[in-house]
Amino acid sequence: MNPNDAFILAVGLPVIASPVIYLIGRIATRKNPKVDLARWLALLTLLADGYFLFIAGMEFIQSRHELLIAIGAISLRLDGIALLLAAVVLALGTLVTLFSGPAVARDNGRETYFALLTAMIGTIIGLGAADDLFNLWVWFEAMALCSYVLVAFYRNEAAALEAGVKYLVQSALGTVLVLLAIGLVFANTGSLDLDEIRLAAQPSGLMLAAGALFIIGFGVKAALVPLHTWLPDAHSQAPSGISAMLSGVVIEAGLVAILRALGALHLVTVSWGALLLGFSAVNMLVGNLMALRQTQVKRLLAYSSLSHMGYILLGVGAGAVMGSEYSAAGGFFHILTHAMMKGLAFLAAGALLYSLHQAVGNHDPLVLDDLNGASRKYPLAAFAFSVAVLGLGGLPPLAGFMSKWQIFVGGFQTGNAWIMALVVFAALNSVLSLGYYAPLVNRLYRRQPAGIVEQGRPIPVLMSVPMVVLSLGVVVLGVWPSLADWLTGPAAQSLLMLFGG
Amino acid sequence: MTISIPTTVIIMVLGLIGIGIYALLTTRHLIKVIVALQLLVKGAMLALVLAGRLTGQEELGQSLAITVIIADTIVAVIGMALAVQVRRVIGTLDLRSLTSLRR
Repeated sequence: MNPNDAFILAVGLPVIASPVIYLIGRIATRKNPKVDLARWLALLTLLADGYFLFIAGMEFIQSRHELLIAIGAISLRLDGIALLLAAVVLALGTLVTLFSGPAVARDNGRETYFALLTAMIGTIIGLGAADDLFNLWVWFEAMALCSYVLVAFYRNEAAALEAGVKYLVQSALGTVLVLLAIGLVFANTGSLDLDEIRLAAQPSGLMLAAGALFIIGFGVKAALVPLHTWLPDAHSQAPSGISAMLSGVVIEAGLVAILRALGALHLVTVSWGALLLGFSAVNMLVGNLMALRQTQVKRLLAYSSLSHMGYILLGVGAGAVMGSEYSAAGGFFHILTHAMMKGLAFLAAGALLYSLHQAVGNHDPLVLDDLNGASRKYPLAAFAFSVAVLGLGGLPPLAGFMSKWQIFVGGFQTGNAWIMALVVFAALNSVLSLGYYAPLVNRLYRRQPAGIVEQGRPIPVLMSVPMVVLSLGVVVLGVWPSLADWLTGPAAQSLLMLFGG
Repeated sequence: MTISIPTTVIIMVLGLIGIGIYALLTTRHLIKVIVALQLLVKGAMLALVLAGRLTGQEELGQSLAITVIIADTIVAVIGMALAVQVRRVIGTLDLRSLTSLRR
């Protein structure tokens, strides 16, 4: 198969399959409420999509030539960053689809859930590969639309609706600011093609304003700190599978959108990368301090996503400022490992939430006290959760240690005093984060089981499979981090091309 | 004294965005918040059309605006659907009552 066609299919298939999944799932459920066809159709679509992405990705990896595709006004470019984002979102999305079956089985509208999840995966693949400023906005908006509905999926719960409203209003304001920035860039350069903008964008006040609008607009989705207030609500109120997707890939997709837009404006000022490093410091500190005082498990994990965004920004920002490929590769490696670890943490928390609360029919949040002694009754979920949070805290030999290590070493190699200070700050933050990760493990293994745990229902097998896969992944990548080099290396080179020329 | 067309449009864009942001900051009613968002998007849309006109690519500018209309309508529909559910479940559209989730 021609790799260009394969990539078109990889982007288009989930988006086109989404309404089909909805319709068939709806008809099947209406005939027999026990049949859950939508889930299996979504899974099939994602597996087929993985095959197409594999063909296109292998061609790119072997030839190192970016695939450029234009269909009418849609232009796509498969480079290292696009491939990394696509691979991460497809892998995590497939596991989440598998996991979500039992979790949403008793809710109305599960066909909506799977149709929108599939569409969201397709739009994120498209977002990573967008080669045109307006295309970038359209993919971004389409991703946001899918996620609004998914966040407010429990539409009869006041808390979920509140989170959905906050998320919608803040994100919609962000996308308007991005549109204004696109208008400014278009009026100044006369083009929307990212490569043409790169050549035409010259330093001027209006272009600086456009860059700032891009950072604020996309930054709402990427959860840069003063713009993060929707995140803890949305991540904690969404269905657990969606929390894993939001935290593992959607905020990273926002970061990729920022990188694409600022990369096109890289001649305007040299300080874009420094700005990212500034956000990195604030994100790490605020995320960790807020996570320390949480009592709900999913809210705690949501705040820890902020601090991990900080580590990613440190690696990527150091790569953009100093042209350090090793550091940038570390940042992208952390995108991959964070997706695995945070995905695993949310899925394990979701499995416990399901068996302790949802299977009994209540919608209370999973609080820290519910974890007490859970390892006796749920050894697998407790083990998976521990692997995930210890990995997030950066303990060797788990994946999170390796990616943080690479970011820190890369930062020191740049020799820049500011970046070295930031690395020390990040290392201190990493220690601080153990202050809330370690007690979670302590609760799981060393406390007496809470009453609610003893009355809990069993965890379905289909929920356990993704947890086992992700736990294995976290351990394997921690022992052999070079296994991910084929993915992170090209992504780092693409980033340097964006910001260096 | 005559005011050129681009100047007029720029004033309208800034006016729409100014009113939209002012309304977003002051109103506490969910439907009015959605209307404010709509005003903001209309301003941005006008900016795209103007950018097309200024660079001599009017068709491109207008096709961008039409695409934005589609996306923007979906946002409004989802927002209204949320508003209906908020009214049903919580019983009010006042955003001050949507504060059960604490930081």
